[in-house]
Amino acid sequence: MTDTEFDLHIRKSMAWHFGADTGSPFWLAKRDSLGFDPLTDIGGLADLTRFPDVSAELRTVPVGDLIPRGLKDRVFRVYDSGGTTGSPKRIVDSAARAELLVWARERLLESGVPARGDWLHLGPSGPHVIGYDVSRYAALSGALFHTVDLDPRWVKRLLADGREDEADAYVQHLLDQAETILTTQKAAVLSSTPPLLEAICARPRLYELVRSQVEAVIWAGTSISAENLRMLDQEFFPDAAVVGVYGNSLMGVAPQRPAVPGDSHPCVFEPYPATTRLELVDDEGRPVAYGERGRVRLHLVAEEMFLPNILERDSAIRIAPRPGSPVDGLADVQTYRAIDDVRVIEGVY
Amino acid sequence: MAGDRLVTVDPLVCGRTVTSSDRTRLPDVRGGDLADVGTAPRLMALAALRELRAHADGRPVGQDVVDKAAELFEHAVLEGESPEEYAARVSYATGLTAAAVAQSVRDLVDELRELSETTAAELPGTRFGPAAGTRRGPHSGSGFTTRWVPRGRVFAAVMASNHPTPSVTWAQALFHGYSVAVKPGSRDPFTPLRLARALLAAGLPAHKLAFLPASHQTGEFLLKEADRGIVYGGDSAVRRWQGDESVAVRGPGRTKALLDAEPDDAVIGHLALSASFDGGTRCTNLSAVLTTRPVHQVADALARRLAALPSVPATTAGATLLVADRERAERIRRQVDELRTAAGVTDHSARFDPASAGTVVELADGSLLPRPLVLSVDRVDHPAVGTELPFPFVVVAPWTTADGVAPLRESLVLNLLTDDEELLDAAVREPSVRKVTRGTVLPWTAVPGIPHDDNYTQFLLEPKGVVAAA
Repeated sequence: MTDTEFDLHIRKSMAWHFGADTGSPFWLAKRDSLGFDPLTDIGGLADLTRFPDVSAELRTVPVGDLIPRGLKDRVFRVYDSGGTTGSPKRIVDSAARAELLVWARERLLESGVPARGDWLHLGPSGPHVIGYDVSRYAALSGALFHTVDLDPRWVKRLLADGREDEADAYVQHLLDQAETILTTQKAAVLSSTPPLLEAICARPRLYELVRSQVEAVIWAGTSISAENLRMLDQEFFPDAAVVGVYGNSLMGVAPQRPAVPGDSHPCVFEPYPATTRLELVDDEGRPVAYGERGRVRLHLVAEEMFLPNILERDSAIRIAPRPGSPVDGLADVQTYRAIDDVRVIEGVY
Repeated sequence: MAGDRLVTVDPLVCGRTVTSSDRTRLPDVRGGDLADVGTAPRLMALAALRELRAHADGRPVGQDVVDKAAELFEHAVLEGESPEEYAARVSYATGLTAAAVAQSVRDLVDELRELSETTAAELPGTRFGPAAGTRRGPHSGSGFTTRWVPRGRVFAAVMASNHPTPSVTWAQALFHGYSVAVKPGSRDPFTPLRLARALLAAGLPAHKLAFLPASHQTGEFLLKEADRGIVYGGDSAVRRWQGDESVAVRGPGRTKALLDAEPDDAVIGHLALSASFDGGTRCTNLSAVLTTRPVHQVADALARRLAALPSVPATTAGATLLVADRERAERIRRQVDELRTAAGVTDHSARFDPASAGTVVELADGSLLPRPLVLSVDRVDHPAVGTELPFPFVVVAPWTTADGVAPLRESLVLNLLTDDEELLDAAVREPSVRKVTRGTVLPWTAVPGIPHDDNYTQFLLEPKGVVAAA
């Protein structure tokens, strides 16, 4: 979807999300306090920054209020952001995520993930949307889906409390289970997080089980340094495709795109053009130039959810669109750290 | 910016320089950057450990190789780096004075040359069993031997940047047969790299050593994966390893003096030197004085003495005080302001050293110098007692016999200036006091065999019985 088409999509979406019969109670209640009329004053992408960043409210709003009235006959599920203690951010999803994942899986296949063969997901499940995402990729491949329970909030809490030994023990408990699975079962694709992949590499038997049978390793959930990624790809899994997926519960997923000639970064992410724009902005909220690092600002404009002008916790380098793509790429995503910011604990997810 | 070209540092794994995609800048105390450092993420550390372990054979390195390395470290041009360039880099990166770096190079090479002697002094004889002929029966004496062998194969060293000399500890692990992974301190990658190059040039087998500039987390990973290790650093860096028998912990020294004697010029001069030698950067530099004498009088005398130390750039002849880059100086200033304004604290330096009021002084070359600071507190259990800062910083607190040994705990070195023999005995028996000095003896005074903090040779080696048929 080009920018012109996306602007049209935004104007139609304003009528939907702020229509008395179709919009969600959450947005309808905000309409009068916005200070502008979304139906007439929002002409396109550039106007979305007029909306307030409502992401903090997603921790407390009764989640049913997020469902557009026009979709009240559909069944919705609740997903949570990572969270540590207190209330995580919540979103609702009926069918939108599944559509997104069909597109995302195509991108994964382009990057070398096999279209057939079973999957092992060693990552969060439960309320975390990534567990659903990966199960859908497997289902779309007609594959079996192996998984292990993983509570990332427990790990973050252990690390926050300085209980590193217990966090290590929990990680080993996860790896024990992965080893049990791979000893008798086959997996062509392993989906996990960079810290867990590092831990797998440090366990000789498990590493050998993975290296000898997995055709693709998908990493997501935390950032990874350039050298660690190079080591993973070239030294530890030279025969497998190593593919990254950037994403979270609010924005959806932005898989790694295939490399193009002249790429200066080994891994460039692209969001779903139909509903999502990721802008990289400076401290004043202005987009940074190509090649510069900026903080990620999300606009999600979909039928089920409207999340404009959300400042994410990540920063990345802005990459020019590849030929034929309407959206910028993001490279070298790192956790954004403002000066005097509280310590962000990435944990294992 | 210092004007010179940026120094490039990269990991050195089993003799190969490995250019890392992960880069970080090392600031110059004069402003700008001094070096562009390639860092090892966890997977590079893991690969290096695997390679070390695959070749680890536990064979000791000869004293001749170490002697040769000491010679090269002190005098040779190594990979294009002259001894003078090395010393300047350490000064500009850590803020240590040229005199302190020169002294530490002498200490380091001396300790390297003494390794055989240190080993002999720290190990009991190996002819344990009964002497031949003293026992009847089948085990009559001959054929019993005890060999001292490494307790593991792979050793990890997580270094700090306060001082170059501690690098001798990982060289000692190599000497005894370990294969070694070194994570240098973030401000001083130069010393471990130069020592690694010297050892390799002297004939150390390349597969014995990996030099890995890295994050704190990668350092923790190295310690976890290695069989034995040593960690230097502040409370937060070493906390995890307290009580872990496979890791030698070298945290804040909290070196204290107990002053129960006339604070005359000689004593005050001794205490001032204990606090300020090498710019106050050693873990053995004095940071607290507990005294039976008038606290304010002792603190004033110390403050007056320390106020005389000049504010000059670290590489100037006669410089004794540490300098810092702007960001580090700002962190120190914030920390000191908090301490100075806490309840029950009196600042004694302000009167004798007006420049100390601003904590740091900006020098002509762009570096910043934290002025020595003497505070007194109104009670011996005041939280300021035990605070360590990387420059001459002393807290003077009242102590009476009734307080006993409790306030003297957690001291790497305890300097007793008292005739109280009972207190001496109690202090020596106190497990958290690691070394005791009496009278006007500087805290770091030692000869081979005198433990700095436990018996490090026996931390590295264990005795193994070898019994042969008679």
